[in-house]
Amino acid sequence: MIPFALAAALALCAPAAQTSSITLTFDTDVDTGAIMVALYDQATYTGGQPVRAVRIDVAAGERAAIFEGLPTGDYAVKAFHDVNGNGRMDANPFGMPTEPYAFSNNAVGNMGPAGWDRARFSVDGATAQTIRIR
Amino acid sequence: MTPSRRHFLMGAAALSAAVATPEKVRAAIAREVAAPWALATADLEGDIAPRALRLIHGRAPSGLEGVLFRNGPGKFRRPGGNATHWFDGDGLMRSFTLSDGDVTLAARFADTPKRRTETELDAVVTPGFGTPGDSRARIGSNDDANAANTAVMVTGDKVWALWEGGSPLAMDAATLATETFVTLRPDLKGMPFQAHPRFAPDGTIWNVGTNGDQVIVWHLQASGALIDARVLTLPRASYLHDFTATDRHLIFVLQPWVFDRAGMPFSTQFSWKPELGTQVLVVDKTDLTRTRLYELETFSFFHLGDAWAEVDGTIRFDVAANVDNTFAVEGARVLVAGRGVVPGEPSMLKLVTLHPNGRADLTSSGVTAEFPKGDPRRAGLERSLTVHVAGERGGRPLPNGLAVQDWKTGRSHAFSFGDDQIMEEAVFVPKPGTSAERDAWLVAPSINLAEGVTELHVFDAAAVEGGPVATWRADVALPAGFHGAWKG
Repeated sequence: MIPFALAAALALCAPAAQTSSITLTFDTDVDTGAIMVALYDQATYTGGQPVRAVRIDVAAGERAAIFEGLPTGDYAVKAFHDVNGNGRMDANPFGMPTEPYAFSNNAVGNMGPAGWDRARFSVDGATAQTIRIR
Repeated sequence: MTPSRRHFLMGAAALSAAVATPEKVRAAIAREVAAPWALATADLEGDIAPRALRLIHGRAPSGLEGVLFRNGPGKFRRPGGNATHWFDGDGLMRSFTLSDGDVTLAARFADTPKRRTETELDAVVTPGFGTPGDSRARIGSNDDANAANTAVMVTGDKVWALWEGGSPLAMDAATLATETFVTLRPDLKGMPFQAHPRFAPDGTIWNVGTNGDQVIVWHLQASGALIDARVLTLPRASYLHDFTATDRHLIFVLQPWVFDRAGMPFSTQFSWKPELGTQVLVVDKTDLTRTRLYELETFSFFHLGDAWAEVDGTIRFDVAANVDNTFAVEGARVLVAGRGVVPGEPSMLKLVTLHPNGRADLTSSGVTAEFPKGDPRRAGLERSLTVHVAGERGGRPLPNGLAVQDWKTGRSHAFSFGDDQIMEEAVFVPKPGTSAERDAWLVAPSINLAEGVTELHVFDAAAVEGGPVATWRADVALPAGFHGAWKG
């Protein structure tokens, strides 16, 4: 019975778990540079490496990122718009970001990056979000 | 049990502690009943559509045409939580338009991210100068906490609502509609642009913004376009609300209220260390690396007058000097509570003199004062007159009149409305076709507490003692504003 149950569980869950996807569309103010998008799960959101990352070539007209084949679960996104294409997130002389950044759910933090509780969203099947990055 | 003497004494002591004395009753009433000055920090629930004011005294001065813009906090309280400090209410931009002898009043709230968030949540949640805020705050950048509530600068057909921790907020000068935060250069986005820009004789504008001991020095065209911006390191990380300037120098008064620790609200970052004294840093406008440091006795301050340099190199400017930061921390909190006794002493108008030999001294006018302003024709140049609000004293926390200090004669020329009025900052408006310092009007609103309405007054700078030459009355009371600017 145990092998059967395991097989059944795998049959029921595993294929479904790998079919989720996220489509992120970014609403920008400027048409230059690129948007760097990082996708996290709860374990990696604070200080870890993203589970996926992608570069959206805004200058070439791209505005969307698609992450496919994701396990069903909760995710959150951090993104910044490298407007001048210098490969980093620029800051003013007092250290505050001067290039647009955003989080999933269009979440805003509280004197820091938006926390997992504000940025998390559930992914089960095909999921889409529009993120304002200004 | 037989009551012993000891039991009796203990019981008597307990009884006397429980029974209210007349002093306690009076104190309790003072705490519970709205203070007579409470209109100064009352909430305005919405914008004020343009409306005519009624002339109730005197005659409209011929030739006085223009707009007095004023900014100040207009709403502090929401069902889910309040701003608890006078400096943290939502910015309310007001315009008093003087045209053909008539006055029209309008007022609109600055439509900031802070106000939008707090309207949605029905709670004040954003930390500020003295308001702690809470975990519901949404602050992705300093401008998300920008109350746009402190001062106003006119640039062309815009007015910029200023707040010391963030960007100017552009509003349409005609409609007071909010536009956008101003970024003077992309790499300087979000750099603070404080509430007290200084206007130079060459027509350009200087301003500053601070972060610890770092200060950005802004230099702008009159149009608001950026000429240059540089970052300096100050010798001390003081709380700095205002700086001043001569035609050749920038002047930073470094009070002994110094950065001590990170945290919010902002004012908790600073500690009052009177043993440090007050320093004055003078910086050459043409070479920001050329500086000179002066030492003065301890005082605290928010506001300075325009400075000037004399032929021999002596530099002078006025300051509304206080003995310590009690009002800034505690007094401004009680003002929003709207009841009780406001702690802190009134500030006193004093003249700082920086001598060429490196010595500095402080001369008191002996007059209580705030919001010192001078003739705009002489900004950065030698002058003798300073207009300021006056009449503030212990037990009555806000000013009730206006005064002109003549530093040449040492005389103060004052007018008091009495305690039925709260006087607001006056702007100095030159009379057309004149050049003498006294040839000016002083234009300022007040809150008439007896009538429960806002009034607008025009004084003749040469005869302040005689009271206003004209007064118009609104049918609404606006909470007290902080700072204004005149657009002729």
